[in-house]
Amino acid sequence: MTSPPMTSPPVTSPPVTSPMVSVTNVSKAFGDVVAVSDVTFSVGPGVTALLGPNGAGKSTLFRLMCGLTPPSQGTVHVFGVDARRNREVRGRIGLAPQQDALFDRLSARRFVELAAETHAIADPTEAAARALGFVDLDPAEAKPVGAYSKGMRQRVKLAAALVNDPDVLILDEPLTGLDPVQRNRMIRLFHDLGDAGKCLLVSSHVLDEVARLGSDVLVIAQGRLAAAGDYRALRSLMDDRPHRIRVVAEQPRALAAALLARSLVDGVSVATDQLVADTSDVDAFGRAIAPLARELGVRLREVQPLDDDLESVFRYLVERR
Amino acid sequence: MSDARILDRGYRAYEGSRSGVAGAVRSVAWHTVRSILGLGRKGRHKVFPVVVIVIGFVPAVAFLAIAILLGDFGDEVRPEYWEFFNFSVMAALVFTALVAPEAIVRDRRDGMYALYLSTPLTRPTYLLAKVIAVAGTLSIITAGPALLAFLGYTFQGLGPEGVVDGIWVGARVVLAGVAISVIYTAVSLGASSLTDRRAFASVAVILLMLGLSLATALMVDAAGMTESLRLLDPLGTPLEIPARLFGNRTVEYIDIGTLPVVLANLGWLLLGAGTLVYRYRRLAAV
Amino acid sequence: MSAGTSMRVVEPLRALRLTYRVVLAQLVTRGRLAALVLVGAVVAAVAAAVGVSDEIDDPLEAAVRVIADLGFTALVPIVALVFATAALGDLRDDGTLVYLWLRPMDRWPVVAGAWAAAVTVGLPLTVIPLGVASVLVDGGGALVGATVLAGVVAVIAYSALFLLAGLLVRNAIVWGLAYVLVWEGIVAGYGNIPARMSVRGYTRSIITSRTGVDLDLGDLSLAPSVIVPLVAAAVALLLAARRLRSMDIA
Repeated sequence: MTSPPMTSPPVTSPPVTSPMVSVTNVSKAFGDVVAVSDVTFSVGPGVTALLGPNGAGKSTLFRLMCGLTPPSQGTVHVFGVDARRNREVRGRIGLAPQQDALFDRLSARRFVELAAETHAIADPTEAAARALGFVDLDPAEAKPVGAYSKGMRQRVKLAAALVNDPDVLILDEPLTGLDPVQRNRMIRLFHDLGDAGKCLLVSSHVLDEVARLGSDVLVIAQGRLAAAGDYRALRSLMDDRPHRIRVVAEQPRALAAALLARSLVDGVSVATDQLVADTSDVDAFGRAIAPLARELGVRLREVQPLDDDLESVFRYLVERR
Repeated sequence: MSDARILDRGYRAYEGSRSGVAGAVRSVAWHTVRSILGLGRKGRHKVFPVVVIVIGFVPAVAFLAIAILLGDFGDEVRPEYWEFFNFSVMAALVFTALVAPEAIVRDRRDGMYALYLSTPLTRPTYLLAKVIAVAGTLSIITAGPALLAFLGYTFQGLGPEGVVDGIWVGARVVLAGVAISVIYTAVSLGASSLTDRRAFASVAVILLMLGLSLATALMVDAAGMTESLRLLDPLGTPLEIPARLFGNRTVEYIDIGTLPVVLANLGWLLLGAGTLVYRYRRLAAV
Repeated sequence: MSAGTSMRVVEPLRALRLTYRVVLAQLVTRGRLAALVLVGAVVAAVAAAVGVSDEIDDPLEAAVRVIADLGFTALVPIVALVFATAALGDLRDDGTLVYLWLRPMDRWPVVAGAWAAAVTVGLPLTVIPLGVASVLVDGGGALVGATVLAGVVAVIAYSALFLLAGLLVRNAIVWGLAYVLVWEGIVAGYGNIPARMSVRGYTRSIITSRTGVDLDLGDLSLAPSVIVPLVAAAVALLLAARRLRSMDIA
């Protein structure tokens, strides 16, 4: 009685252009609390970072994608079907959930083996050993995972998510509790998997982590999708906010005065060998700075945009609302 | 640089008055009562305690209604005050199994216990607050029905004659209710201190109180063993207190003197409290 | 796009076996076993006391009372309650249910496997002490047979009902205790309909019909008192599978 309806469409490998995960007009409310509000996006192969402050709705969005909870409105599809209904597609998803919950009385190898068995992997022992190898854990360790440290448990969770060689990997805050060396290793692993055509969705609220995960971001704030795409492209869309540019030069004071006089900057602060200018028109500034320096006889050493980074995007999108 | 300074850490010391240990005990006790009864939480957290309390009051209200309807003609069937304590044993038991684990097990599981010990509270004062909360809440269902009967009878002119007599009866009703609550509190907190999971604490309370009650009843009634075995029943023995206070004996304990009843109750009180204190002395505040 | 699009699914029987193994490993803890073995020993001890007593008018009736009052009002429902509510309820509460849920498996084998695990632990913890008790209490062969039959039926039914409860409400043990103590213990005595909605009514009927000793609630003949609880168990498991499909997973 619980088998999925026989009429459900067979899952086929979609053409390269069709998204692997698509979220359409999805809202999710828990009682009076709206956790996710009218979110639409789709993702394909590669690493996509889901970025947002704590409580923004990241985990809810991930749970929706995996079918762990149904949307109040809209549709969530993985390979064109609902993971809540379709047994087959659940075998193509790997999830590392946020909660620190494992079967505490099993060893790491047994835990990951169990994940492989419940994914109908032909050789669970071999698959478990391989997955544990990815995350740098020893398959021969007999200690139960209940006795593991937070970082080790985090890696056991990752190994279990990887063991079925999933096409879609959903990793909720996978880097918390890891030391910097492991963090680098995991980020490299994520990139390798993304390059191999897997779809990875990785959430984080730590900005420099996300910056290293890749340039594709989904920014979520208060349950709404605040932005999606390459964060450098996003930055250039934010034109109503002054960009900050540092100019290292001789005689910064003279240069600053000239920039102000020609209304190329909105504000400027000057130090002994450099100035930091705020401008709302980066292009005009960029075209004007070199000729101006030549005109003044000032030698430019360095012109560098200061806020072309993720943090400024994030601040703009999340904190200024 | 030698003139380094931290100007403002954004920290403000609390300058107001402090209520001290008594205030801390009061506050922990009150918050425990609130969490037991689901006060200040959504309706579904209140369902369970309310249902059990209502079930506990149903027999008393029914008897009271009949007694009042019959008025003076009902002298024959009108239950006496002490009998009201026996009408809702099962509800009281379920309530106890709900209350004690909620009061102490959750704190240990979610780390609040360690947090409490970082305040002016110590282990004894923390436990005191919990005992006050549990005994107070249990009194709703142990003393409540009898108190209701007392008020109802008095209001209908079926109660004690005169103020002095009224106070004397009322005092015994209250005393009996509190005594039962305190013994149930000790036994149930003692059992709850043995496990870190609320669910198993509930089961432990039930197994101990109901299991021993059933077992001793069978030993006496079915196996014909000595009636004194009933003193090993932590559910029934405290209920003998109101009977004795009103100069009666229940059928089950008819051959047992008052001194053994008092000693047995004292024994259960000490056993429960002792287990509780022993467990908490060994418990590290993590 | 990469490979890895093969359609792997776990066959139902295999899913059942996997769930069974995991849940069994999670259920069996030393503390739980020790406590419940102790309770079983108390039951057997009371039975022995009744068995050796020579102050009894009707030994069979006394024996039946021990088995029915101690065994089937307390031991069996509480043992089943502890393990069946934990079978899937613990996994749901601590967030590990996702490791059996987000898998290419059907729902019903998960429910069936968890239930089988609960029964596997519950049966020996109840039927063995009650069987021993029924021998010690000296009630004759009919009582031993009735006790074992009623024990098996009760563990099967209670486990299914409480497994469902574990998926429906958060503190299922407390609700289960209320059902056992208040519903079966009090309400069932007030009428025919509540009595028919109590497992206790059927287990007592089994004992009554096999031994001839009258018990409250025990007024059904043997066939329905075995069949109805089994049907109720099957319905509870079907509902549990439906619930597992429709519920939110942490």
